[in-house]
Parts: sequence; structure tokens; C-alpha cells
Amino acid sequence: MTTTENRRSKRTEILEDRPVNLDGFVEEWPEKGLVAMESDFDPAPSVRVEDGRIVELDGRVRADFDFMDTFIADHAIDVETAEEVTAIPSVEIARALVDPGASRDELIRIGRGLTPAKILDVVKLMNVVEIMMAMQKMRSRRTPANQAHSTSAKDNPIQVAADAAEGALRGFAELETTLGVVRYAPLIAIALQVGGQVGRGGVLTQCALEEATELELGMRGITAYAETISVYGTESVFVDGDDTPWSKAFLASAYASRGIKMRFTSGTGSEVQMGNAEGRSMLYLEIRCILMARGAGVQGLQNGSISCIGVPGAVPGGIRAVAAENLIASWMDLECASGNDQSFSHSSMRRVSRALPQLLPGTDFVCSGFSGVPNADNMFAGSNFDVEDYDDWNTIQRDLQVDGGLRHVREPEILQAREKAARALQAVFAELDLPAITDTEVEAAVYAHGSGDYPDRDVLEDLKGAQSVMDRGVTGLDLVKALERTGFHDVAENLLTVLRQRVSGDLLQTAAILDDDFVPRSAINDANDYGGPGSGYRLQGERWEQLKKLRHVTSAENPETEVS
Amino acid sequence: MSTAPDLGPADYPLSVNRQDLLRTPTGKPITALTMDAVVSGEITAEDLRITPETLQLQATLAESVHRRQLAQNFRRAAELTAVPDAEVLAMYNALRPRASSKAKLLEIADNLESKYGATVCGALVREAAEVYERRDLLAREEG
Amino acid sequence: MTAPAVQRTLSLKEIGPAQRGSRPDEVVVAVSPAFGDYFSKTIVDVPHAEVVRQILAGIEEQGVAARMVKVWDTADLAAVAHTGARLSGSGISIGLLSRGTAMIHQRDLPRLSNLELFPQSPLLDAEVFRRIGSNAAQYAKGESPAPVPTRNDQMARPRWQAKAALLHLKEYECIVAGRKPVEVEPVVSRA
Repeated sequence: MTTTENRRSKRTEILEDRPVNLDGFVEEWPEKGLVAMESDFDPAPSVRVEDGRIVELDGRVRADFDFMDTFIADHAIDVETAEEVTAIPSVEIARALVDPGASRDELIRIGRGLTPAKILDVVKLMNVVEIMMAMQKMRSRRTPANQAHSTSAKDNPIQVAADAAEGALRGFAELETTLGVVRYAPLIAIALQVGGQVGRGGVLTQCALEEATELELGMRGITAYAETISVYGTESVFVDGDDTPWSKAFLASAYASRGIKMRFTSGTGSEVQMGNAEGRSMLYLEIRCILMARGAGVQGLQNGSISCIGVPGAVPGGIRAVAAENLIASWMDLECASGNDQSFSHSSMRRVSRALPQLLPGTDFVCSGFSGVPNADNMFAGSNFDVEDYDDWNTIQRDLQVDGGLRHVREPEILQAREKAARALQAVFAELDLPAITDTEVEAAVYAHGSGDYPDRDVLEDLKGAQSVMDRGVTGLDLVKALERTGFHDVAENLLTVLRQRVSGDLLQTAAILDDDFVPRSAINDANDYGGPGSGYRLQGERWEQLKKLRHVTSAENPETEVS
Repeated sequence: MSTAPDLGPADYPLSVNRQDLLRTPTGKPITALTMDAVVSGEITAEDLRITPETLQLQATLAESVHRRQLAQNFRRAAELTAVPDAEVLAMYNALRPRASSKAKLLEIADNLESKYGATVCGALVREAAEVYERRDLLAREEG
Repeated sequence: MTAPAVQRTLSLKEIGPAQRGSRPDEVVVAVSPAFGDYFSKTIVDVPHAEVVRQILAGIEEQGVAARMVKVWDTADLAAVAHTGARLSGSGISIGLLSRGTAMIHQRDLPRLSNLELFPQSPLLDAEVFRRIGSNAAQYAKGESPAPVPTRNDQMARPRWQAKAALLHLKEYECIVAGRKPVEVEPVVSRA
């Protein structure tokens, strides 16, 4: 029988229509850096120290250093151990990373002296399961956590407050927002701060903005931490971003000087996307970012490709490289907020598989932005997971007995928190003489899904209000007072407790979050102590009981009813 | 002030274990930051800032767990507590690529060192000036 | 599967070094090095012949003249568009990259600024290109048209981000450093 060229089988047609075929895939082009982590064009590891100074790094002598080489050589690498540890065979280091018998502390000590190419050489030996094994041990905080995006396509502050409250209640440790119209920022940041403290005291909030504006909101105590401080792996792309390692290091100190927690952001694919990868693989360049972050003395890093995920996602082995970059951030002893925060695939199977290398071993923040609003309202251009995935996420946690930072919450509790957040914001707006929030808007907030379910705001009036927040110099303390005066005593108390943290500086330490009792939990007092089966973080006890609950579970005692 | 105590991991979190060491910039103990004090106006936004002494304590803690760069960042931060917000922002902007001449950067470093006693920050800015010169990242001469 | 319709192929016939225009009622359409050359269609397969046809029609329907220029020494959209604006008699230009990304620019604006930017190349179709041409012509007449509505698609990243990066790299390979802009005439042939 002969086949006809234009005729397709029914099976091919079905496969052709599968969502995965809407995703884009490309061939590698290593000469240009369009390659995940295995490239002949990456340098071989080398390091040479003279007079207490690194004079050669990965085949380049000091006279030829670009500013990344210079910064990494002078700030990131331990000069005393560099030659010794870089001489250890890569396979020994890779095996130690996987071996439960090798301590985290010893691997941190080795890692502190390694060059970027040596680190790449080590992780290239590891498959994705080994990368997960290593992540389980190397993540800095013992207890994993999660972060949400809380934004609104209409920049509606009531929506942001209500979804922040729900997100906090469901378990997110951090909430992040950003804007459609940037001038709305003060109102949205206030809404996030108030809503977050309603759902669960101690949630930390941030508003992603241009660097200088973001710092200003933080200085005023309207936000609690900062994250969108981008760094890049080549000098030319770094300069295109209008920064240098020195300006970013200075900015890190500026945040700490105001008691504000901060992490940098980087990720595979950003350099090749901008056309300036200098012929290096995506992971090699990301390793330079990670070392730059450590050299700057910032406590943590958001990485995992982030907004460039479509690039590593399209090349062979790209998601393995993304898992590796999270591991390296942890190995370099930084807090790692591990991506899974941008629309990644049309295929739900791919969306989940992309997240497993972070969800299964646990990271400091499994998602650096699980969308706490419908993706259509996500002003970070959509996340890998959104509110419609809450029940799936909870079920996966229960199936595999892993802690992804969330839990199922019964609807009455959620509705109550949403209403209280909207009411609290209504009161704060009235106290601060900002455009009124009506009872109709509060009611909409209780039952809404997305921004379309709320009455439209008078945008021009809101923007005037936002400007007045800046002009009058409204601070976090003013929010506390407004909440207290209007009878939201517990919310006021929660917010004051969060603000008080900046006096102690405890949240500046690596991977710090606040637990339900407002006790700072960081890589110092909750240090990862994984040492093989039976050790480290185990999902058990009260927390496991929480995670056994789902929306529909048939009661064993009375199978005619459900428990939830 | 007495010499900084020798802190270790067991002292963390300071807000729980070492409240005795924590003060606000106006000299109040951290335990004075109560709702009553906020309502009565005794506490102002100024009280909710971190002091250089506390940042030095956190630096000691970071060193005790072998995080030398993090400690160094806290020491730079301790110096910057004295610098007003607007000036901090201006210094950051001056450190952006091609934003400043070498003389301008050295002037910022001088100012940090002499006016604020910020020697660690000053050194960072001097280092930037040198690297920027070598990598052609100083402000380009205009006309 | 698809029955091939009449395929129009664009070629850009070089006329000579691009000159600053003297007509106050013209728009310059400045294209990147690989446009109508190494590449023949945008990231979503809109033929360059169609892109040019729609843009020129949009300009002409406003009674404004159009001129095309090939920029050789950069593939940066803002630089391509600004080069066109400086050559334009009205000071208005449309910059175009091979993958379809477009920008309306004006001579007096800083290079990194623009009048309208269309960064999401996968969402630009024939109709949008026509409206871009029309708006540019209206700016050239000194009018203030309502900006062409921008579209957004959450799923553009997974589908197109890597291909866009690849096209970007290829376009950069076609740069001829130091070569001055050339005035070109669009020639459409039917295959």
C-alpha cells in the first residue's frame, strides 16, 4: 500500500490538537548561547591566586576580566580555599552533593571556593533526580514555603486586599504585587499590606516597581521586602539594564540599612533573549549571576528563569538546567525563591512536571509567585499556577505527602477573611481621606473571582488619592493607627508586629519568614538539617493533618457524608 | 555604648532571645513599641528604623554562621543608616553605568568617609570608580 | 494540508544611499537588515510582502507619501526607527524588525523613546500593520490619532519567546557594520 502525502491519520490529528503542540520548541545554537547547560563554548574551570588575589578565573587572566569576573573574583570566591577546592575532581563534589552522609556545611565550604565553570562542571554530572536529592539537602531553610502574586487587571485595590487575605489564609508566607498603571502603586501596596495581615498575621508583602520607587515604598514601611532587583550574567546585558554589580551591591546595603529584607532576581535565558550571551550557555551565565549575588552580600535570590522561562523551556534539557540553577543558588548558601511564577505551557502535564524539581525536594519558596488571582488578572503576565489550580495543588501535596506551602481552607473561613480585608481597607481609605470604598464593592469582594466581578472604580480619583499618599508621606505606621482607630485592633497589631521586625533586623538573615506566631524563622534558627531518610523536614503531625484535608473527602466513619 | 557582645546562632532571633540588646534610633527599648505608645503618639515612624548597632549585631550573627559577604553587607548598611533617604537614592543613581565621572564617584566616596564615617561604603565606591574607568563605564564627556 | 494561495514574495531593490527627505508629508518605513532578505515572513508567518502592502496602504489612505529605507548597521528596533525618523521629511517613521515587531518614532524624541511601540510580534496581523501605517501618516500630518490598541496574550511566552530569541540572533547576524542606510523600492513578485 502506498501512503498519500497529504492524508493524515486520525491519531496524528488528535496529537496535533493537544495543548502541548501550542508550545514553542527550538533547536540549540550553542555558538550564540541558545543552549541550556551543555556547550563546547563554555570555558574550562581554572583558578590561580597570587598575593591573596585571584589573578586567573576560568581561563581568563585579570587584565582581561570583564566586570562580572572582577566582582566575582574579588567578592564572591573564598581566596584561601579556591585553588584547593577547584582541584577536587568534579565527580567527587557531585557525589557529595547527593550523598546524605556528606554534610551541608562541608558542601557550603567547598562551594565558597569554586569558580563558575567548576560549578557548572559539577552539576553537568547530575541528572534531574540527583539535582532534587541535592536540593533537599542544600536548601537553606528547613521548612519550605510559598509565595503568591496578588494583582488586579484593573488595579482594583479591593480585589488585591481580598485576594491577599485569602492567599495568606491558604498559607503563602509572602505576597507580591505589581501594577498595570504604575501610578496606582501606593494604593495597591496599602491594599496588599492590609489584606495580607487580615488573612494571617506575619505575611510579608512587596510591590514590584522600578528600583528607586520600590525602595521608597519600602523605606516608608508600606511594603516589607523587595525582590525585583535584577542582575544579569554578561557585562553588556547588565549595562543595558542600567546597573552594575557595584550599584546593585550598594542597593542591597541601602535596603538593609532600612531594615528591609531583599533578594535579587536572575534566571537562565535572559542574556540570550537580549542577544548578548557572548557564546556562553544559559546556565553558565546564571551561575555568574548567583555568584555576583553572593558577592554583593544579599541574603537571597529569585531564580529559575523567571520571565524568560519560554527560552530554556524550548531547548533540550532546559528544565533540568532550571532545576540546576535553583540548586546552585541554594548550594551557594542563598535563600532561593525558585520560579514557577510565569505562564510556562499550554499543557497542564508540562506545567506540573516543570514544578516537580522544586515541589518534591522543597525550596525556600517553591513558587516565587503562584498566582493568587486568576491569571487574567495577573499583572506579572501570568503564572505557572493560578487560583484555579488551588485544589489540584492541595491534592498533589496530599498524594505525595510533600509540603508545597498551601492548605485547603473551608469556604466560610475564606469568605470571612475576604470580607474583613475589604472592610479593613474601606476603613483605612476613609481614615486617610482616600476615595471611598462602597458597601457594594465590599460585598463584591467577598464573592468575586476576578476583576470583572467588581464595580469599576473612578480611576482618576484613585490616582489622585495615590499621589496624595506620596505627597503626604503616609507611612506604615499611619496604616496601623488608622486600623486601630477604626476598630480593626487585631489587624493593626499584626501590622505593627511586622513593622517592629525592622527594628530587630531578624528578617535580614538568610531565608527569613515569620511563622504564625510572628517568630522569625530563618536559615539560622530553622537551618536545614537534612541528613538522609528520617532527618530534615518531614511532613507529619499537625501540619500533615492539615494537608490531608481536601474539598471532598468521603468520611470513613459515615460514608454517606464528606469531611472537609 | 559597651563593646558588642559575642553573639552566636542560639541568640537568634534577637527579637525573641535578645530583646535586651535592641533599641530604636531614639533610644527606646524594642519592648516600648506597643500599640498604646503608637496611639498616644510616643512612637513615630523614626522609631521603626533599624540602628547601626543592631545591624552590627546581625553582622556578627551572620559571621557566626560563616556568611561573610552577608555580614559585610550589614556593615555597609550600618554605615548607611546615617545617610538620608534622598541621598542614598542619589548615590545609587550615581553608581549606574555611565552616570558619573571618576571625579564625581571619588567625591561621593570622600563624602561617605568624611561626613558619615562610612569607610566600607566609601571603599566600595572607590572600587567601582576604578573598574568603571577600566571598562569604559564612566560618564561620557559631553561637548 | 494548506492549499498554497498565490505566494507573493517581497524583494527590496536598492536605489541608492538614503537621503533626508524634503517632503513634509512623508513617512519613512525603515526596516532591519534581514527584512525582505534573509527572512520573508514575520514570526507568525505574515509574509513581509503583506506587511509592507498593508503599511503602505495605511499611509496612502491618509494621503501621505511613503518611502522605504533599509538600515544595515543595527537590528535594534529603536535605532532602526530613529534612523528612519531622522531621514523622514515629516520626522515620522515606522521601524520594523523581520519578526514583525514595530514602532512609530519621531525625529525630535530621544532614541529610546517612541510614539507607539508594538512589542508583541506574534499578535501583529495584517489589520494592525494597516492601522500602524494609518496612525504614522496622521502623525505626519500633525494630527494626534488614538493609539492603535495593543493586545496581550498570557500564552505568547510559552509559544513564541524562544523563537523570538532565535529570530533576534539571526537578525543580528545579518548586520553589516558601518554600512549606511539605503533607500529601497519594494518589488512584489508572484510565485
